[in-house]
Amino acid sequence: MSKTHKGWRDSNWYHGLSNFFREYRKHKIGVIGLGILLIFIGMAVFAPYLGTGSPNPLKAVAPSYLAPSWMSVFDPEGVVTNNYLTKADLNTAPPIHINGTSGEFNATYVPESESSIGNYVNLTWQHTAGTKLNYTGIDPSGNLPDYSDFVYFEQAFNWPWNGLPNAVNMSISFGTTRTGDFAEGAHLYNNLMFRLYVWVVTPANEWFKVYETLDATYSTPIRERRIPFSYLDVLDVFQGMVAENGTPTYTNSTVKVYVGMAAYHNFESYGGIHPWENYTGSVTFTVTGIKLTAYGNYYGRLGTTFWGSDAYSQLIYGSRVSLTIGILATALSTILGVIVGLVAGYYGGKVDEVLMRFVDFLLVIPGLPLMMVLAIFLGKSETVIIVVIAVLGWTGTARLIRSQVLAEKNKAYVESARAIGATDTYIMFRHVLPNVTPILFANITLGVVGAILSEAGLSFLGLTDVEVPSWGRMLADAQNGAAFIRGAWWVVVFPGLMITLLSLSFTFVGHTLDQVLNPRLRER
Amino acid sequence: MGLREYVIRRSIYMFLLIIAVVCFNFFLFRLPTFFFGADPISLMISDNLRQTLTQDLLEQMYANFGLVMNPDIFDWIYMFWRYIVSMFTGNFGVSFLTKQPVMESIVDRLPNTLLLMGTSSMVAILLGIWTGVKVASNPGSKKDIGAVTVALFIYSLPVFWLGMMLLMIFGYMLPVWTQNTFGVAIGFPQFGTISYEVWEVARTSPWGAFMVAGDVLHHLFLPMITLGVGGYGGYFLYMRNNLIDVMTEDYILTARAKGLDENQVLYKHGMKNAMLPMVTIIAMTFGFLINGATLTETVFTWRGLGRFIFESLVALDYPVVQAIFMIIAITAILANFVADLLYGVLDPRIKYG
Repeated sequence: MSKTHKGWRDSNWYHGLSNFFREYRKHKIGVIGLGILLIFIGMAVFAPYLGTGSPNPLKAVAPSYLAPSWMSVFDPEGVVTNNYLTKADLNTAPPIHINGTSGEFNATYVPESESSIGNYVNLTWQHTAGTKLNYTGIDPSGNLPDYSDFVYFEQAFNWPWNGLPNAVNMSISFGTTRTGDFAEGAHLYNNLMFRLYVWVVTPANEWFKVYETLDATYSTPIRERRIPFSYLDVLDVFQGMVAENGTPTYTNSTVKVYVGMAAYHNFESYGGIHPWENYTGSVTFTVTGIKLTAYGNYYGRLGTTFWGSDAYSQLIYGSRVSLTIGILATALSTILGVIVGLVAGYYGGKVDEVLMRFVDFLLVIPGLPLMMVLAIFLGKSETVIIVVIAVLGWTGTARLIRSQVLAEKNKAYVESARAIGATDTYIMFRHVLPNVTPILFANITLGVVGAILSEAGLSFLGLTDVEVPSWGRMLADAQNGAAFIRGAWWVVVFPGLMITLLSLSFTFVGHTLDQVLNPRLRER
Repeated sequence: MGLREYVIRRSIYMFLLIIAVVCFNFFLFRLPTFFFGADPISLMISDNLRQTLTQDLLEQMYANFGLVMNPDIFDWIYMFWRYIVSMFTGNFGVSFLTKQPVMESIVDRLPNTLLLMGTSSMVAILLGIWTGVKVASNPGSKKDIGAVTVALFIYSLPVFWLGMMLLMIFGYMLPVWTQNTFGVAIGFPQFGTISYEVWEVARTSPWGAFMVAGDVLHHLFLPMITLGVGGYGGYFLYMRNNLIDVMTEDYILTARAKGLDENQVLYKHGMKNAMLPMVTIIAMTFGFLINGATLTETVFTWRGLGRFIFESLVALDYPVVQAIFMIIAITAILANFVADLLYGVLDPRIKYG
């Protein structure tokens, strides 16, 4: 007799599951709910890749209540707040220009490698005593250096906006190394003989000096220096790109930033001597990067919150908090409710009486206020919130399971199990529980909805960790930060929409499970 | 078991439950003192100030509020005894925060809460029953599926967010828009329970009462709609499922067989019977009315009990919170009892036991 080959497709659970899915697929809202749920789970899992910035609700990256970038299409003068130049721009070799014919100035680009930390550009000036540099005198406009012999490298960014930025933050990181007569101790005041310059160059090739090292000493370690950018600087640089009477002054919109090194006029004549005749040595500026942030009224994909933090990242990371708290709290409360319900229903009598009186007691204590009390007293953490929601959420499950167990426990299979000597625990969990689980599934999914909404409410009241991004907290920031008056509707609409969609997906799934698994309802 | 015996048994049980709640409250609100030694006085005065005060003065401060500094077990027993006595004599003490008698503060806010919760519950219940009946006559139809989807959507809506959206649109954006378009700001108030401008005028005007009433209704509208819509989903689903259940009963078949028209069957036979469990739910809802709605009240800065609980909790003002918790528990227990009795009265098939 040949043994029939049994594949995994013939197993009992596979049949049950495929039947279940066939039934489930018939319900449109169940499929929609499952789809939304999967999107949210993906969002929670891949949050670090989807987020555009720090999800910390208190970390300011821009002024508060900036509108989402995509709203700038409605605003002809809108400017999107962004880092227009970052250190990452040095990942590719910048164009290097050498002015004059002295041959003393040079620049090299060093890409990141095992021996160097990050990319950098070395601007070097190697002077031998007696070499005459082309001294042009002090520039009356103050924009150009005193010698026409100098070296600079170029960084550029595009300015696609037809408006002025509200403010510009700029900084440069560099360190200085010196040898010979420029080194420390060789000559007094030798530090003042050379300078690092930063120019912003408009598309029309107008140079505006925004930075010049004025310090009397130079440091070898790389340090970041802030470059002050006044309103007049902003006007100088950006005004030409704003359309007046319909046409902008400049035809293209590429703004360049030149970082250069040149000798200072002290080098020509200082204290009665001529340093260029006597000095021999070298100076190297190691520039590791230049940053430029321009502030406009728009930021990122979803703007900024009251604290000036990135709303989009918080929205993405918020799914983690809601899902973990929703699922863990429900798991905990379901376990608790199932055990209490089973024990109360199976044993009956005194045990049942005591447990059900306890449930009655919990039901007359107001739910949300009690949650608030526990959340305030036990501290602001996710664990506390999970426990608090679970401790108050199990009563419904317990009552449901108890009523089911009461109906099941007098059936023949329980009798026969007891007759062959099965223990009470074994009967409860191996015989009774599997028969009441179908009812439980819908209850669990609806419990998750309750937990998600409770978490949103508690974080709306400010009872959760202030550093953890969550949708309820975003709404709290909007409510307490006068978002209504400032017209910042994006911090009100989107977090609430996320809460609604997530709990809606669970509601849809729960409703469908109820219809598929609950035979009483299926008859309708 | 007769009705009388049932009432007596339930009354004893209710009394025991109230005692349990009162005892529970005592320990619940003193948890921070047990765990962290944080008491209301330590929230009121800074550690620096505490060091400059003499021991006598500090003890005097604690005694003024009926507390004991660094209590030992006997002090706790004494405070617990005094607490039990005062709770059952209706002496709820003085708020740490406002220094007002607790009862006065509660009574002050009770009308606001009852007004908001009462009207919004009415909106939710009436709307839920009405649409539930409309839909249940034809389960599975397009209309039914649409209505159930909407109800599920409302069920998963964070109610306070709905409030924020309504407030933003009708409280902030609408007046700005009407101001720009028509030159008059028409919209709903942005915060509070009553406007002080109106109050000032109404005090001297002969029509003051009407002005105040109109102003309160104006303030009430948005939070009422918020809570009404928020509660609607549950009532609708409950009514619909009940009615669908009832419509499969034999007496409905009989009624149809008699040749009654469908409307009469639905409203006379179906709805009346489906309303029975609904009445229980409604009675229990009214038990939790004075809970207030902390979140919605926070959004609309409505001066009700829900906000009051939260504000007092944050300040560890436990005379207030324990009083409110006890009142809520008592009303909830009573409402439960009334619901059970009502169910028996309305449905003669039910036997007490």
